[in-house]
Amino acid sequence: MTSQYIGNPAIGSPTGNYTGKAPAVWPAKVNQIPKEVFGDKSLFEDELKNIFYGDCWHVVGHFAEIPNAGDFKTFDLGRVPLLIARGKDNQVRVFYNTCTHRGNQLEVATSGNRKEFECPYHRWLFSLDGALAACPGSKEFAPDFKQENFGLMEVKSAQFMGIIFVTMGKNTPPLTEWLGDVVPPTLSTLLGGDGRLKLLGYQKVRYDSNWKGYNDNDGYHAPMLHTAFRLLNWQGGTTGFQRMTKNGHVVFEAELKAIQNNGFVNDPSLVEFKGSDPAKGSRIVQLFPATVMVKHLDIINLRFAMARSHDVTEVHYAYFAHEDDDEAMVQHRIRQSSNLLGPCGMISMEDAAIFQRIHIGNQTPGFAEFQKGVTSLSEVPMDVKQNDETGNLPRWEHYRKVMGFKREGEK
Amino acid sequence: MSSSSLLSSQSAAFSKDKPSAMVPDDFIWQGYSALETQWRVERLLSRYVACIDDDNLEAWPSFFTQEACRYEIITRENVERGLPLTLVFCTSQGMLADRIVSLREANIYPQRWYRHIVSNVLIQAVAEDYLEVHSHYVVLQTRRNGQTSIFSAGKYKDRIVFQNGELKFAEKRVVVDTHSIDTLLVSPI
Repeated sequence: MTSQYIGNPAIGSPTGNYTGKAPAVWPAKVNQIPKEVFGDKSLFEDELKNIFYGDCWHVVGHFAEIPNAGDFKTFDLGRVPLLIARGKDNQVRVFYNTCTHRGNQLEVATSGNRKEFECPYHRWLFSLDGALAACPGSKEFAPDFKQENFGLMEVKSAQFMGIIFVTMGKNTPPLTEWLGDVVPPTLSTLLGGDGRLKLLGYQKVRYDSNWKGYNDNDGYHAPMLHTAFRLLNWQGGTTGFQRMTKNGHVVFEAELKAIQNNGFVNDPSLVEFKGSDPAKGSRIVQLFPATVMVKHLDIINLRFAMARSHDVTEVHYAYFAHEDDDEAMVQHRIRQSSNLLGPCGMISMEDAAIFQRIHIGNQTPGFAEFQKGVTSLSEVPMDVKQNDETGNLPRWEHYRKVMGFKREGEK
Repeated sequence: MSSSSLLSSQSAAFSKDKPSAMVPDDFIWQGYSALETQWRVERLLSRYVACIDDDNLEAWPSFFTQEACRYEIITRENVERGLPLTLVFCTSQGMLADRIVSLREANIYPQRWYRHIVSNVLIQAVAEDYLEVHSHYVVLQTRRNGQTSIFSAGKYKDRIVFQNGELKFAEKRVVVDTHSIDTLLVSPI
């Protein structure tokens, strides 16, 4: 073999020394994403600063996970530990999960019910609304110590139909503005119309994937990757659409016709549709940066994602029934939720395998190339079809801007 | 049954594991001595995990009763919180077979080898027509790169019956300690 490059000159190959470092300047073509953004370890630190600790809202839970006074859950936003608690006044508050004394992690359980929160280190005691109720030996504390100044630190939070959002940014727009006009109608249907949900339980999974690879599923892949849809002869209706917002959210709506059993399944009761309106059969809401929420058949699934590092994303798939369901409907939802979607689901477990392969395969030179639905190389599309992959490009564009990357030729 | 009573009954089921000392040493079940019953139960469990580990999954549903069998994988975390959601939930042999057809023909996933280790097999209760048996399991997973890791640890809670001269699972409840799944769960446990 000579030292000369052997290959197909018609295809070409990226030149230069590949470093795996994300470039500060992106290509002028809007359908090309530099692959290095998936595997660059140092980029993750900038993402924590600009996105996860920046001026974005992040989904950390739903009211139905903590229905009673004293219920709490813990969650991490980047590396920041949060404590989400329902007070005696029925208010849900989000605190930093840290004692205000010396910074000891206050609550270690993932969920539970408490009368108050006690730090075991020096027995500082906090009431459910965050106030410091007791601190032994306070007579000998520093001269400027005031008990009322040492309540738990609260994180700015807001809610939409029970979905709990937090932000650590100083200039985050109000939640209604951030969600825009496109998201609420679809999200409302996804949440059963009013968000009065009842928690069924969790499936928790760790993906060996960057959070952006986890969140880059598109409208093009569904009928291609998920063979089960084809085997089941499961066709969506023709009235569906995909809509995006400029700040990176994507919503899908699709009709879902009752399955025509073609003899492929031995027990078709699993894929029965008991929802009242097939036109509302399938809904997906993807919120920037990392949240995916799905309603499919009678499954209501909120996916609380935690970007752990540049190569690990942890996702808590939480499944819900509606408060008004009768017992038969609850049982039906449990069966469907337990078998179809998520990391063990018969229909879409492929996604998990793809997240990992996307992560590994993108540690190579060049660009992730979006094609399906691209009509312009210079304009980010805002009008796309249901099965286009271009619906993800506004999100990538928003990411690029938030991260401060320029485009070629941009001043 | 209301959903709340379902929740509490599942939660209670876990915390009420009776010590096996309650079962006498000298019982006779379906004409078998205690010793032979223990041996037959352990042989059933060994055959069951060999079926999975040897990738003989088409035979997997036949370990269950034909009528009204129940197979579920549920996390210990959900059980202890009284939450009914499972990871896999099958209520008929047909559903078990559909799982296997799906993973053979539809699902895409990296090939991995499973190795089940089953131990601590305890007959918890002896009724006239069934046994309640608890055992511990560990699933070792070997990825394509040859590295082996612990994929799942937990407990089998089985209801075993005697049918046409063979032991079968009428109910198999897999309670998983490892509630953080590594990427995805493909094969049965």
